[in-house]
Amino acid sequence: MTVALRRLALVVTLPAALLAVWWFASMNSTDFYRPPLSRILVAFRETWIGPRFVDDVLPSMARLAIGYAGALVLGVALGTAIGLSRPLRAALEPVLEFLRAVPPPVLVPILILIAGIGSTMKVLVIVSGCLWPILLNTVEGVRGVDGVLADTCRSYRIRGAGRLWHLVLRSASPQIVTGARQALSIGIILMVISEMFAASSGLGFTIVQFQRGFAIPEMWSGVLLLGLLGVLLSLAFRGVEHRVLGWYHGLRAAARER
Amino acid sequence: MLRVRGLRKVYDSHGRRVEAIGELTFDADAGSFVCVVGPSGCGKTTLLRCIAGLLPPTAGEVHVAGARVTGPPAGLAVVFQEYGRSLFPWLRVRENVELPLRAAGMARDARRRLVAEALDAVGLADTDSAYPWQLSGGMQQRVAIARAIAYQPRVLLMDEPFAAVDAQTRADLEDLIRAVWRRLGVTLLFVTHDIDEAVYLGQRVIMLSAAPTRVAEDLDVDLPDERDQLTTRGDPRFTELRSRVYAQIQKAKGAG
Repeated sequence: MTVALRRLALVVTLPAALLAVWWFASMNSTDFYRPPLSRILVAFRETWIGPRFVDDVLPSMARLAIGYAGALVLGVALGTAIGLSRPLRAALEPVLEFLRAVPPPVLVPILILIAGIGSTMKVLVIVSGCLWPILLNTVEGVRGVDGVLADTCRSYRIRGAGRLWHLVLRSASPQIVTGARQALSIGIILMVISEMFAASSGLGFTIVQFQRGFAIPEMWSGVLLLGLLGVLLSLAFRGVEHRVLGWYHGLRAAARER
Repeated sequence: MLRVRGLRKVYDSHGRRVEAIGELTFDADAGSFVCVVGPSGCGKTTLLRCIAGLLPPTAGEVHVAGARVTGPPAGLAVVFQEYGRSLFPWLRVRENVELPLRAAGMARDARRRLVAEALDAVGLADTDSAYPWQLSGGMQQRVAIARAIAYQPRVLLMDEPFAAVDAQTRADLEDLIRAVWRRLGVTLLFVTHDIDEAVYLGQRVIMLSAAPTRVAEDLDVDLPDERDQLTTRGDPRFTELRSRVYAQIQKAKGAG
């Protein structure tokens, strides 16, 4: 067996086993709240493969994408500015610590007052949660730029945008990616939570609707879908990380060998 | 080409004053190869950073090609001791060498030609698409040297560039640097703590005293221009010069 196949088998085994356990344990269930997995899967197909995908799943994903991208741009931009400027850091640190400590779901009622109950509010909730890990990690990454490399840039007169990109942002990229990874899981949570308040579409909204309407297999299928989306997003993230940080993983592997 | 006048550097931090450089004055002619040696802790790196415009001196002036240094001057390149930290790990060898040229706004064809020539000159023409961390220490330092060559500096500063590589690689790199210097006609200031290396490489050896640093002696190395590891190091004149530098450094240490 090749290495790739063996790894694939390793990755697939546990989920398959868990599904099998769920399948057989729930097979003869007559409990209304815990239907058999077979019924949940049927509900999954009937519920999500169809117009609901366009009406609920895609809007949720779009809000997540916009909010996450906004947080990424804002977090990296602010984080770079704060990381590069000591006075800015001293002035902003207490405020940042305070804002970071506020759990984003608490902001939902406030954001409803400010931005209404539309998509803007939901995107803002996602931004307000995803921003912090990206921002704080970027600050740390930017501050950790190697002194010799910075001197090298100075003596070769690499300045301005070239310096910002080739020295500052690339140096900070491992930390930025760490922050972005944390932000992604926060974003999924907030995507769902923001749709549980005053919403008329979206994944979170639909799952709550099913629960209130006692459509229990459909409710379970929504949870399953969220889990699957999480897995897909994290796979996509790993793909991007592999491209962006290929050098970093190589460097670390080389350092371990020496 | 390089003029250092009354250079003085005092570090003042947390109420502790450290006089790293007392008063340094010397010149280096265009196209000359000058080695600077001194006991450890005598401010060699401080001197180099002041010349490179990376550190403002407390007093005195540095002129490179007639212009007073107030920041990193154009036409000056530095090769640092910490090769591993002075190359960009996210750029391939070729891109590392090319980056300063891109920053200077050079056209792509000219850049490519210079990069290829520089990598060829240090014997790394085949490794241009590797990442620096895939290379040995000696090869990484070659990349840093290639980057300096491609930049076509008028003044090249080297800060103990071979201190962290093994003896065999070091001998190769020494010969490489001699060859590069002769080919480019660059003014080279080479800082080292290794006496043999200083005498082997330089046309002149400037010996520094212990801190607060002054010029202890300025010695012309009257060895033939053609040098090689075997005959030059076996030359009685080499041994004489070496002993003289050694004695001077010992004296400087004793005084410090």
